[in-house]
Amino acid sequence: MARYLVSRLAVVIPVVLVVLLITFTLGYYAPGDPILIIYGEDLYRLRPEDLARMRRNLGLDRPFWEQYLDYMGRTVRGDLGRSIASKVPVNRLLASSLPISLQLGLLAGVVLALLGIPLGVLAALRHNTLLDYLIVSLALVVRSVPVFVLAPLLLILLVLQLKIMDVPAAWKGIATPAVVLPVILLAAYPLADVIRQTRAGVLEVLQEDYVRTARAKGLTLILIITRHVLRNALIPVVTSLGLIVNGLIHGSVYLDRIFNIPGFGNLVVTGIQRLDFPVILGTTVFSALLVIAANLVVDLIYPFLDPRVTYSGREGR
Amino acid sequence: MSRNQKLDLSHSAEEQSDARDQMAGNRGLWRDAGRRLVRNRLSLVGIFVLSILFALAIFGPSVAPYPFMEQNLKLISEPPSADHWLGTDQLGRDVLSRILWGARTATTVAIFVTTISLGVGIVLGGVAAFAGGMADWLIMRLTDVVMSVPSIMLALLVNTAIKKPVAIWYEDLYEQTGWALFRSTTFLDYLIVLGALAVVSFPGYARLIRGQILSLREREYVTAARSSGVPFARILFRHVVPNALGPVIVAATFGFSGAMVMEASLSYLGIGIQPPAASWGAMINDSLMDWRYEPWLLAMPAIALAISALGVNYLGDGLNDALNPRIAAERAETKGER
Repeated sequence: MARYLVSRLAVVIPVVLVVLLITFTLGYYAPGDPILIIYGEDLYRLRPEDLARMRRNLGLDRPFWEQYLDYMGRTVRGDLGRSIASKVPVNRLLASSLPISLQLGLLAGVVLALLGIPLGVLAALRHNTLLDYLIVSLALVVRSVPVFVLAPLLLILLVLQLKIMDVPAAWKGIATPAVVLPVILLAAYPLADVIRQTRAGVLEVLQEDYVRTARAKGLTLILIITRHVLRNALIPVVTSLGLIVNGLIHGSVYLDRIFNIPGFGNLVVTGIQRLDFPVILGTTVFSALLVIAANLVVDLIYPFLDPRVTYSGREGR
Repeated sequence: MSRNQKLDLSHSAEEQSDARDQMAGNRGLWRDAGRRLVRNRLSLVGIFVLSILFALAIFGPSVAPYPFMEQNLKLISEPPSADHWLGTDQLGRDVLSRILWGARTATTVAIFVTTISLGVGIVLGGVAAFAGGMADWLIMRLTDVVMSVPSIMLALLVNTAIKKPVAIWYEDLYEQTGWALFRSTTFLDYLIVLGALAVVSFPGYARLIRGQILSLREREYVTAARSSGVPFARILFRHVVPNALGPVIVAATFGFSGAMVMEASLSYLGIGIQPPAASWGAMINDSLMDWRYEPWLLAMPAIALAISALGVNYLGDGLNDALNPRIAAERAETKGER
C-alpha cells in the first residue's frame, strides 16, 4: 500500500508541477503589468528609477525560471499570492467562498446519489423499454445542454409561467428553499455520467452467474439488486469521482452568477472580469489540484471496492 | 422477475436486423453504416438539426430581416411583434437577426475548433503511437496535464492570457499586410477563442488516435499485410485509417457540439466573442439582468443553443451505433461513450 501510494505520487507530483508551470507561463505573458494594475493612472507620475526599484522589490526583474521557482515554492507552501483588485490574499478569498460551494457540492452529491443511481438501475432493469429510453434521453439532455441554458429556461418556466417559486435572491445560507434549484442544476451535468455508469454497470452485472444463482434460489428483486448487483455495478460510478468533481466545478462557475451565490464560481468569474491574475491562477491551480486529488483518492480506494484488484497489478480498468 | 429474464435473453431489434444485413451479402461498410444511421429516429433528428444549423450559418445572415447591429432606440426591449418576430433587445436590435448571426458564430467556431484540435490530435497521437518511447511518454504526460485542469478553467485562463499577446501580433500583421481582415476585432476574438478551445480539446483526440493505432496495429490483417511485404504507407491508409475513422468521426461529432457549448460559455462569462458581434452565449449573458421583465431575450438564445447542442449529440449517438456496430452490440448499454 505504501509503495503503491509512492508510485502514484511519483506520477501525480510531476503533473502538478507542470500544471503550475503552464499556469505561471500563461500568467507571465498575460495582459496587465502588475505595477500598472496596482498603481493605475498614478503610474505615469512615478519616476523611471522608482519604477525600476518597485519592479525589483516585487521580483519582476528576475529571469523567468527564478520567478517560476519562487512561484512554485510559494504555491507548494499554500500561498497563492494576493488579489490585485482587492489586495486580499487569494487564500482568504478561497477560504470565504469554498465552504459555500462545498456545502452546495455535497448537497448536489446527495441529489446525484438519490436520483442518478435509482434512475440508472431502473433504466437497466427495463432495458430497451420506453422507460429506459426516457431515462437515457434525460441523461443525454442534461449532458448536452449546459446549465447556463437550463437554468434560465427553468427560471422562466417556474417563476414566470407556473409561478410556483420566487426569484432566488441573495445567498442566505444552505438551509433555505432558495438552494433547491441551484443544487439540482449543479447536479445536472454530472447526473448524466452517474446514470450512464450505473445503467451500464447494472446491465453488465445482471449477466453474471451469481445473479442467476441468486434468482434461481428465489431471492426478491430488491435483495438481488441491493446485495448482489449494486455492489459491483457501482464501482465505475465511484471511480468517476474525478469526473463528478469536474462537473461540480463547471456548474459552480456557471451557476453562481445566475443565483447570486458568493461561491467558488463567483470568485473565478469576478477574477476573470477584473483581469485579476493572482485570483485566476489561484483558482485554476486549486481546481486542478481538486480533480487530481479526487483521482488519487479513487486510485487508493479502488482495491477496497474491488478485491480482484491489487495495488501492484490492476486489472479491468 | 420473469420480465427481467425475458429481457436478458431477448436480442434487440437492431442486432437482429444487423444479422440480416450481414446475410444479405457484402454491401460495403459505409453503406451499411448509413442504413443503420437513417434507421435511428434520433439521429435523423440530429441530421435535421445540423442541416438547419449549417443552412442558418450560410444563409441566415442574408435572410435576416435586419442588420445584426442596427439599433432602433425607439424600440428597446420590445416583446415579439409582427415587425420583430422575436422582439428586440436592450439596444433595440432585432433578436431574430442576432440569433441568425449567432448561428454563424457558433457553427464557425465549432467547425474550426474541431478541425484544428483534431489535426493536432492526429499528429500528436500518430507520433506517440508510431514513435513510441520517449515521444509517446512526453505526449501522453502532456495530455494528462491538460486534462487534469477542468476544461472551463483552462479555457478561461488561456483566453484571458493570450488576449494581449495575440492582439499585439495581430496589429503587427495589419501594419505589415494592410489587410482589412486584421482590423476586425471580431476576427481577433475568433482567433483567441479558437486558440483557447483548441488547447482544451486536443488531448482527447490525441489519446483516441493513439489508442486506435496501437490496437489496430496488432490486428491479424495488419500482421498479414506486413508479413507479405505491403509498404507501411499502404498499410496505414488501407487498413489502419479506414478502421480508425468510425470512432474518430463519432468523437468529432461530440467535439463539435462541445466546442459550440464552450464558445457559448466563454461568451456567457463575458469573455470570448465580444459585442457587437452576435453570440448566443453573450446574448444569454446580456439578458440575465432583466430576465424577469424581458424573458424572451433570455429564452431565444437559450433555446437555440439547447436545440443545436442536443441535436448534434443525437447525431453523435446515432453515428456511434451506426459506425461501431460491434462495440455498440457488445456494450449496447453505454450510449454515447465520450
